[in-house]
Formats: sequence, C-alpha cells, structure tokens
Amino acid sequence: MRRSKKGEIIGIIVTILILTLLIILTNTESSNLSYIENIANKLVNPIQNGLTYMKNKIHGNTSFFTNINDLKAENEKLIEKNNKLEETLRELETIKAENETLKQYLNLSEKYSDYKAIAADVISRDISNYSKTIVINAGTNSGIRENMTVIAAEGLVGFVISATDSTAKVQTIVDSASNTSAILSSSRDSVVCKGVLEKKRELKAVYIPVDANVAQGDKVETSGLGGIYQKGIYIGTISKVVNTTNLNDRYAMIETAVDFNKLETVLVVTN
Amino acid sequence: MKKFLINLLLVVIFIIIYLLQINVFSYLTISRIMPNLLVIYVLFIGLFYSKTAGVTYGIVFGLLTDLFIGRKVGISAIMLGIVGLIGGVFDKNFSKESRMTIMLMVVVSTIVYEIGSYMIGHFIYDYIWEIIPFIKILLIESLYNVIITIIFYPLMQKFGYKIEEEYKGNKILTRYF
Repeated sequence: MRRSKKGEIIGIIVTILILTLLIILTNTESSNLSYIENIANKLVNPIQNGLTYMKNKIHGNTSFFTNINDLKAENEKLIEKNNKLEETLRELETIKAENETLKQYLNLSEKYSDYKAIAADVISRDISNYSKTIVINAGTNSGIRENMTVIAAEGLVGFVISATDSTAKVQTIVDSASNTSAILSSSRDSVVCKGVLEKKRELKAVYIPVDANVAQGDKVETSGLGGIYQKGIYIGTISKVVNTTNLNDRYAMIETAVDFNKLETVLVVTN
Repeated sequence: MKKFLINLLLVVIFIIIYLLQINVFSYLTISRIMPNLLVIYVLFIGLFYSKTAGVTYGIVFGLLTDLFIGRKVGISAIMLGIVGLIGGVFDKNFSKESRMTIMLMVVVSTIVYEIGSYMIGHFIYDYIWEIIPFIKILLIESLYNVIITIIFYPLMQKFGYKIEEEYKGNKILTRYF
C-alpha cells in the first residue's frame, strides 16, 4: 500500500526536525540537563520572585517606607559609580586580550625559534569516523617532504605522510593508526602514545615501565626516538592513570595540548 | 546521449556528496560522529543501475576518496565495491517500494562497510581493539545514515527510476507486483 504524498512530506519534515534536535543536543558543550533546567527555571522564576517580593514587602513594611528618600539618593550615586566602573572594566578587558595575544606570539617564537617552519591551513578532514588524517594547503612546492613534523602553537600535531605539489596529507597523533614514542617530562620514563577511537583529544599511553612513577598532571613530550619527530615537542598532560592487576598492562590517558576539533593552522617543521 | 548524461550526472553528484561530507557533515555530527553519504550513494547506484555499475562506481569513487584523503590507496575502494555489489544483490531479491526495506539495506551496507574497513585497518595499521567505542560509532552512524535516507529517499527514488528505465527498460517487472 502506498502512502499519500502529504504523509510522506510530513514524515520527511519530522525526520529533519529530529535530526536537527539530535545534532544540537549532542553537540552542546554544557550538559543537556542544565539546559532544560534553565528553561524550567525561567518559567518558574518570575512567579517565585513575585512571591518573595510580596513576602518581603509585608514583613519589612515600616523600614520600606521610612528610608525611601535616602535610598533614592544613594541609588543615584551608586548608578553613577557603577557606570564609571563598567567603563574602566571594558578598557581593561581589551587591554587584557591584547596582552594575551602578544604573549602568545612571543611564546611561540621563543619555543620554536630554532626550527624553520612553514605555516599552512587545514583544508580537509578525514571522512571516516576511525582515521583522523588531515590535508593542509602546502606541498612540495613550498618545500614539504614526507615524514616532516607538523606542529601547532600548542604542541605536536603529527607528521606528513604524503605530499603533492600544493597539498600534503598529515597523520595526526590522535589517529588510531598512530604510535608516538614519548617521555614524561619530569621522570624521563618512556611511553608509547596511541590514538583512540572515541575521543578526538585523547591518547592512550601504553608500555609504561613497571618501576615508572606516573601521576596525573605529568607533562608528556616527544622522545626523539623513531626518527620522525624531533626531541622535546610538547604533546599534552596525563589526565588519568589506570592501574591494572598486572603492572605491565597499566595505561594512562593523555589529553593533547592541541584541540584537534578546532585545529585550523599548523606549522610544518622543515629542518 | 541520455546514458552519457546519466553517467556524467552520477560523477557530478559524487563530487557534491564528497564536498558535503568533508565540509558540512564534519560539523553536523551526532555526538561527534559523521554519517557516511558515500555508502548510501553507492548502494543506491547498485540498487537502481546494475550490479556491475555499482561495483565499478564503488571502486572508482573509493579510489578517488583514498587518493584525496586516505592513507593507503585501496581500502575504501574495496569496501565501496562490496557495497555496490550488495546493492545489486538486494535489487534482485527485494522490492524498492518499501521504505522499511531501504532503511534496512542502508543499515546492513553501513555495517558491512564499517566493519570491513575497521578490520582491514586493524591488520594494516595495528589499531588497538576497541570494541565498545567501535560499536557505539557503528550504531550512531547507521542511525544517521538511515535518517538521511529517509529525508532524501523521494529524490533518490525519482532519479533512480529514471536510470532504471533507461538501462533495464521493459525488463523490470518487480515494480508492478
């Protein structure tokens, strides 16, 4: 039996609505519950406020009327003061933002001053949900070759797996196929970082030495072993250590310094 | 002439779908998981065009995506070829009128495609086995693909029957039963 045309269109519209809802709900950063809570609060709040106001008015009846003139004068003064303060605050905020960007520039050039690097934009991301390779808009014409290290302002991104004249494919460190040799900055214990499927900002550190002392918050950087990455490029911090009954199997999760969801510009190190 | 136009249109649609996939659907995600439009597209070619065309287009499109973005050439080519084949087999055995069967076909081919590429990836690149996250991705991706199929099915059907008339002519009878 064929459904009518009208029903078909309504079905499609309902599906589109469900899809948009799903996309919005699953992508909002704060938890969905607080969002709903907010709406509920907005509905209930005016009533509650009104009730409280009524109650206060009845209770503090006498003081409410006697002080009203003083209050008015004070209020005016305070408003004036508030305006001035807000103005200075705004000025300070712009200065603060400026200061931060300047600091970032300074840091970046200091950190990587001995590397020669080519800047490039990310132009495409992988279409499958498992691999996380990216394509950048600089290639052999700008001097990019295979196996060159790719970094961002925050830390390590990955390495070039192949390059054409004007583009290059970069395998990121969060890719499931990636194995990065790394060391803990404080204790100099070596680990291997592998990409995981589920999260785009997490690495799994395996092969942790049995006698190594790993703690949450430890910084992780490249070890220079393996011949692709230079030594001492920052990867991220350890966010969780998972102990197992067999010490050989224990692993740690690393939160990468680079946010791969928002990665837009990268630097390719050429020397 | 008309046949040539249809084939040209199929390639143009592939380019549009590829661009949509890398630009639009990497942001329109359900809990960070993208749909796979190419699987739906190749399945559709296999269903409405023919088994051979499904396999050929699957392999060609797979090779192109591998060249554009993949690490090794061939994995998506093989898997999309298989999806095209599945489309051809489904065409012989099921009716395309019912929405439910189409949805099930999309789910089956998405699952086959993803499990296949994950297995090949595991053997080539030494992925660590992560069964539960993988199943989660698989389920959400299938759901997303089904939603997209529901939205675009009338359009696909219209275009599909045009192709079918051109290529199979009077041989198709299943539609009228």
